[in-house]
Amino acid sequence: MNLKQELKAEKVIHLDLSGYCQVESGTPIRDVLAQMRAEKHNVSLVVADGKLVGIFTDRDVLRKVAAQPETWDLPVDEVMTRNPVTVTADTSAAAALKLIEEKNFRNVPVVDEDGRILGDMTFRAIIKYLADRYPIQILNRPPNPERFPRKPEGG
Amino acid sequence: MTTATIPIKLTRKDFVSDQAVRWCPGCGDYSILAQVQKTLPDIGVPKENIVFISGIGCSSRFPYYMNTYGIHSIHGRAPTLATGLAISNPELSVWVITGDGDGLSIGGNHLIHALRRNVNLNIILFNNRIYGLTKGQYSPTSRAGHKTKSSPMGSIEQPLNPVAVALAAGASFVARSLDAHTTHLGETLAKAAAHKGSSFVEVFQNCVIFNPTEWGELEDRQKRDEHILYLEHGKPMVFGKEQNKGIRLNNGRLEVVELGNGITEDDLLVHDETSREIALLLSNMEYPDYPAVLGVIYNVTRPTYEEGLMAQIEQARQKNGPADLNKLYRSADLWTVSAREEVQSEVSGEVPAGLDEQYVDEIDKETAESSEVGDRLAEESLAALQPNVPISIDATDSLAKAIRKMNAHNIGCLLVTDPEDHLIGILTERDILMRVAGVVEDLTAAKVADYMTPNPIALKPDTPIAQALHEMSIHGFRHLPLVDEENRPEGIVSFRDIVHYLKPELS
Repeated sequence: MNLKQELKAEKVIHLDLSGYCQVESGTPIRDVLAQMRAEKHNVSLVVADGKLVGIFTDRDVLRKVAAQPETWDLPVDEVMTRNPVTVTADTSAAAALKLIEEKNFRNVPVVDEDGRILGDMTFRAIIKYLADRYPIQILNRPPNPERFPRKPEGG
Repeated sequence: MTTATIPIKLTRKDFVSDQAVRWCPGCGDYSILAQVQKTLPDIGVPKENIVFISGIGCSSRFPYYMNTYGIHSIHGRAPTLATGLAISNPELSVWVITGDGDGLSIGGNHLIHALRRNVNLNIILFNNRIYGLTKGQYSPTSRAGHKTKSSPMGSIEQPLNPVAVALAAGASFVARSLDAHTTHLGETLAKAAAHKGSSFVEVFQNCVIFNPTEWGELEDRQKRDEHILYLEHGKPMVFGKEQNKGIRLNNGRLEVVELGNGITEDDLLVHDETSREIALLLSNMEYPDYPAVLGVIYNVTRPTYEEGLMAQIEQARQKNGPADLNKLYRSADLWTVSAREEVQSEVSGEVPAGLDEQYVDEIDKETAESSEVGDRLAEESLAALQPNVPISIDATDSLAKAIRKMNAHNIGCLLVTDPEDHLIGILTERDILMRVAGVVEDLTAAKVADYMTPNPIALKPDTPIAQALHEMSIHGFRHLPLVDEENRPEGIVSFRDIVHYLKPELS
């Protein structure tokens, strides 16, 4: 199967969707930042009553928070993107990637029919999925793969 | 076939070949050759059943000068060839001729394993403690401090003791003799020939050109008896020209004593060639600290390798009947290998004739573009992603300026360069999240240099895309800088460029 067919056949739920933080609506930005640092994630999904209500990424940090210390004690709801576009577990990887490409998203949360979070399709999930296709060519690649001995080995 | 009757009485002359002997005049090898030729008529083996196998070295020219079968074989491997021959035809009397270099350096392993297996061989090791054929380099038996062409300040190596090596290897017959002492040498060779199993004879041999003084007074017919202990089985160890000295065992150590003044032959050690303990003690007596020990040091009978092997073959024959090689071969898992279909291979495997002078990568270049995006990711380079022009910043600039610059360009990544435009760091939105936001209040006072990731991984534009995928996956990067040979930024690729590259495949 080629990559095009694989991306269509692969469901997003089978990708590594674990690269996110989950915070409660109303959490101060300062605490959200601390949690993202501690868990080493670039994105926080914000929930209220167990349902996804917003998304807060390192891009938001760069644009709205880092240079604005006055925001740090506000609730995260003030700077997050509300009601983000989501996909479901059986969405194909190709469809999710298309969404990312066309809408310029960097994360697509994956939710069930009740809006509960199943995971987050991050850039890392995509890169890892693609990189795993090339284990031998890349990891075992000699420094000069095209080099060829001039003569048969002699002894 | 057996050795019981020989119709014609052979003489030494029957074993002399028509080859001109090419050893230096005065070489000890002449004496050994003559004694071997003199001994062979009496060992009771027909001439056609005698084989001499040698390795490499002066001594290893020996087979040319013997009118018998022989092989001048490869360096150090004479015991190996001899083992195969002795097993394939146990009727043969197989002689191995080797030297201290051939037998103990290059062929050290082959020698010890032939000895421990007790293959029926007669191994004569000519020990002149020098490499003669190659013109005078120190050998594994050269004394410590010996100045040779390859040890002008003296050898710093502890020499091997051939008799001790043979005993340690488990040889069943170990003897020593001297080239200049022809009668003793002849008797010792005869005893070696009579022994069944591996017989090891070290012969002190004089290299008249490169090591003429090695054996000192042993080579002097008038003085040598003063310095030689001739071993005789069951006799006390008396030596000296006047037979006035002896070897005594004193509290586990051997010592030289003068007879008289209350010391009699009854106090001396009695040689027992079947005693491994005495043999090991004797092997440690090294001339000139002690008298040179000549004669049969150790001689025991134990089953030979050939006997054990033949017995097992016979046993298997009785149990399983006659062997059928074809049947054995077909009893294993068999499968049919069909001709392979034409397979596209990255490397053709064959170098066309006439292309020696250039690397074959020239002919190995890709011709057709692959249509499958999965293959293209491995084949195409990062240049195919059309990398963006990077935005740079100085390490001395403030974080406030850096964040303004990123927001103004709507990007999440700045390359940090030095005044010569070399890449020295990278500052991404992840760095801002991890080290700045919510932590650093005064962004104008903070310098980029203190918050960037220094010495980032950077790739050349000709790197395959798939390799960049791995760098991003392993390290969690969203951006990868591209640099030229001088480490100057040429571009930047992001995860988004890769998704964009895949776009035609997504619908």
